[in-house]
Amino acid sequence: MRIGIEDLAVAYDARRVIDGLSVAIEPGSVFTLLGPSGCGKTTLLRAIAGFVPVAAGRILFGERDVARLPAHRRNIGMVFQDYALFPDKTVFDNVAYGLRARNVAEAETRARVGEALERVGLGTLADRVPAALSGGQRQRVALVRALVIRPDVLLMDEPLSNLDTKLRHQVRETIGELQREAGITTLFVTHDQEEALAMSDRIAVMNAGRFEQVGTPAEIYRTPCSAYVADFIGAANIVDATIASACEAGGLATAETRGGRVAARCPRALPAGAVRLVLRPEDISLAPAGGGDGLAGRIARRQYLGSRTSYAIELAGGLRLSVDRSGEGHDRFAIGDTVALLLDPARCLAIAP
Amino acid sequence: MRQELRSVWFWISLAVLALLCVFLVYPVARIFLASIGGPAGAGSGWSIIASDIRYQRAIANTLLLGGAVTTVSLAIGVPLAYLTARHDYPGKSVVSILPLVTLVTPEVIVAQTWLMMLGNNGLLRRWLLEAGLELPSFYGWFGLVTSMSFIYYAYAYIGTLAAIRGFDAQLEEAARSLGASPLRARLQVMVPVVLPAILASALLVFTLVVGNFALSMILGGGIDLLSVKTYQAAVSETSSNPVLQSTLASVSISIVMSMLFLQRWIVSRGRFEVVQGRGAAPTRLRGPGALALASAAGIVVAISLLPIASVVAGAFTLSRGPVMRWGQWTTANLERVLSRSPEPLWNTLSYAGAATAIAILLSAIIGYLVVRRRNPVTPLIDYVTALPLALSGTALGIGLIHAFNVGWLPLTGTAAIIVLAYVIRRLPFGLRSASSTLYNIPRSIEEASISLGVPPGRTFLRVVLPLMVPALAAAAVLTWTTTVAELSASIIVYSGGRETIPIQVFKLIEGGLMAQASAYGLVLVAVILVPIVVATRVFRIDLFSSRA
Repeated sequence: MRIGIEDLAVAYDARRVIDGLSVAIEPGSVFTLLGPSGCGKTTLLRAIAGFVPVAAGRILFGERDVARLPAHRRNIGMVFQDYALFPDKTVFDNVAYGLRARNVAEAETRARVGEALERVGLGTLADRVPAALSGGQRQRVALVRALVIRPDVLLMDEPLSNLDTKLRHQVRETIGELQREAGITTLFVTHDQEEALAMSDRIAVMNAGRFEQVGTPAEIYRTPCSAYVADFIGAANIVDATIASACEAGGLATAETRGGRVAARCPRALPAGAVRLVLRPEDISLAPAGGGDGLAGRIARRQYLGSRTSYAIELAGGLRLSVDRSGEGHDRFAIGDTVALLLDPARCLAIAP
Repeated sequence: MRQELRSVWFWISLAVLALLCVFLVYPVARIFLASIGGPAGAGSGWSIIASDIRYQRAIANTLLLGGAVTTVSLAIGVPLAYLTARHDYPGKSVVSILPLVTLVTPEVIVAQTWLMMLGNNGLLRRWLLEAGLELPSFYGWFGLVTSMSFIYYAYAYIGTLAAIRGFDAQLEEAARSLGASPLRARLQVMVPVVLPAILASALLVFTLVVGNFALSMILGGGIDLLSVKTYQAAVSETSSNPVLQSTLASVSISIVMSMLFLQRWIVSRGRFEVVQGRGAAPTRLRGPGALALASAAGIVVAISLLPIASVVAGAFTLSRGPVMRWGQWTTANLERVLSRSPEPLWNTLSYAGAATAIAILLSAIIGYLVVRRRNPVTPLIDYVTALPLALSGTALGIGLIHAFNVGWLPLTGTAAIIVLAYVIRRLPFGLRSASSTLYNIPRSIEEASISLGVPPGRTFLRVVLPLMVPALAAAAVLTWTTTVAELSASIIVYSGGRETIPIQVFKLIEGGLMAQASAYGLVLVAVILVPIVVATRVFRIDLFSSRA
C-alpha cells in the first residue's frame, strides 16, 4: 500500500517539532528514517502510528487519511525498540493478540499464528513466556506479532538496537525476507547508517525535524547533498575549499584547498567562491612519494584493521585526511612515510558550504 | 486545552479530584478553620493554647518523646541493618522476618503486652520482685520510649538496609585501592551515601511518634502528650471542645507536615547516582564477638515477637475480672469472644474489607492517571493524595467528625465514616505501590496493544491491569493488615455498636480485663496473619518488594 505524508506538522505544546513534511512511499518498499537522536525520526514514526497527535497535514494509507484516527483504528503493525511483548502472555497469545482484537475466528487464528511462528522457526516455543526467550527470539516474536494481522504499513522503531552485532545481521536478513514476502510497505527508524544502507529501498536523512535528503542508499552515499548527510552516512573527509569560477551541475571544477589543488565533480550547480569537498576515505589512493602527481603528504597515524588499513595523512597547511586502503599491500606504508595522494575527480564531490 | 476537554481521562481526573476535595481536603480545611475561632465569639484555640501551660507542655513533651524514640530506634535499627547487610551470623534468617512482624503487630496489642509484662500488675515485674528487683514504674517516659522504640526501630532498619544494599561496594574498594583504611573508606565513602536514607527514616519515626495514639494513651501515665490531649478534647463528654481539639490537631498536622517537607528535602538533596549497585558479599562472623552480636539481635527479635506470644498466652489464661491466673488454662475467653459477642469481629472484617477494596481500586485508577495520563489536573491529585501522610489518625477523625457530623452529608454514626477513615489513611501507601509498579511497566507494551487494534480503555484492562495485579495484591494485603488494626481514627468516629476489635481491645484494657482483651487480640492477630500467610505461601506474593 502506498503511504503518503502531506504537509505534516507535529507540535509539542506550542513548539512545532515537525513542520510541513511531505513524502510518498512506494507500495511494498522499505523507507528508512535515519538521523541522530533528537532529529525527529521517532516522532514522525509515532505520528504515523497515531501515538503523537498531528497538528496539521494528512497521512494517507492508500486513499485513506488516517491523520485523525486513533492509533487502534489505523491497522498498523509496529515493532518496538524493547519489543514490548506482553510479559504475562505466552508467545502464542502474544502473536494471536491482534487477531483476537479483530475477532478473527479462533480456528483461523490458530492456523495463522501457527504458520507465522513456523515461518520464523519459533513453532516449538509457542507456549513459552517472553522471559524464557533469547533476545533474537523475542525480536522475531515481535515481528510476527506485527505482521500476522496483515497491517497496511509496518512501522519499526530501532528494532535492532538491543541485539549484539552478530544477531543483528541475522535478524536484518529475517526482516528483509519477511517484508518482501508479505510485500508490506515498511517504515524503519534507525540511527545506524549501515543498517539503513543495507535494508532500505529509500532513505530519508533527517535533521531538526526536516528531511535533509531523500534518496536510494547509493544516491545518499555517493552524492550527499550536504556536509551533514556526508558526515552522517559513512566516513567522510570534509574539506573547505574555493573554486575560482562557477560550475554547472555535473561539471568538473578546480578547487583550491589548504593542502593543494584538486579536481572535483559538482553534482549541483555551484557559484564561484567557497565550497566544501567530500572525500570518502576509501576513494583516496596512496603512492610512494614521487610516484605520481598527487598531493604530497606524510603518514601521521596508522591502524592495521586486517582487511584494510586506516591512515591519517598530514598535508601542507595542516590539513589532515583519513584514508582507508584495502587490497594487496594495503598496510605497506609506515608512520612518517611521505606519500602522494591520488584523487579520482569523479569521487571528489564539491558541494555548497 | 481543547484537546484535553475531549479526553475521557481528563474527566475521570476531574471526578477523582472532586471526590478527594470532598472527602479529604474539606475535612482538613474544617480543622484549620475551626481552630481559628468558634461561631459565637468563643476565643481562638490558639489563644487557649498560648494561655494554658498544660498544652504547651504537651507539645514540648511530644517533641521530646519524638526525639528520644527516634534516637533509640536508630540506635537499634541502624546497627542491625548494617550487620544484616554486610555479615552472616547465626540466626540471621530469623532477623529477616522482623520488619514483617513489627509492622503488622497492632500497636494496641503491643501496648497491652507491655502492660501484662511490666505494668503495675505485670508478670515480669512480679517475677523480678520475687527475685528482689524492683523496677521503676513502666507508665510514663520509661514505658513510652521503650515500647515505641521496639516498634519503630523497624522503619530505621528497613530504610538503612535498603540503602546499604543499594550502595555500590566497589566504591569502597576504590577508596581502599587509593590507600584508605577499611574503616576510613567506610566512613568517608559509604556513610555519606547512606546517611540521607537514615535521616529520612529518622524523620519518619519522629512523625509516627507525634501521631501515635495507642501507646501514648495506654502507657502515657500522667504525661501530657499532644495526641492524648487531642483525643481527650475530642471525646470528653463533659468538656468536648471543638475549637480546642481542632487547634491541637492543627498543631500535630503542622509538626508532621514540616517533618515531611524536611524529609523530602533531604531525600532530594541526598540522592546520589549510584551507577552500578553491586552489593558486597556478606562476610561470616565468627567467635565470641559473633555470638554477642547474634544474641543482641536475638534479644531484639524476642522482644519484637513478645506481643504475639503474650497475646496467645493471655487469651488462654483463666481470669477473674482483672486478675490473671497465669498457668491455669481455659478456652472460656475465646468462646466468649467468638460466640457471645462476635460483633467487633464482623465489624472489623466488613469495614476493613470494604476499605481495602475501595482503597485498592482508587489506587489503581489514581496511579494510572498520575503516571500514565498526565494532564493539568493530575499534579493536583498527586499533592492531595499525599495529604493523609501528614494526618495523625486522631486529627483525621476530628476532621471527619467536623465535616460530616450534620449538614449536607451526615455520616456520623454510620459505618461509612469508619470505612472512609480507613481508606484515607491507607490511600498514599496503596497509591505508592500502584504507581511504582506502573513505572516498571514500559509504556511501549500499552502502545503495542493499541497498535494491534485494541482501544486504550480495553488495553488498560487487558494488558496493564493484569501486570499490576501482583503489586496490587501485595498492597491489598498490607492495606488489610493495617486497617484491621486501625485504632486512632476509628475510635473518634465510631458510634455504639460499631466497635471494631482494636476499639474493643482498647476499651477492655482501660477496664483492666486483660484476658478478654487478649482473646480479641488473638482473633485480630489471626485476621492479620492468615491473609499474609496465604499471600506469601500460596500466591507467592512479595509483600515488601515495593517498600524497600
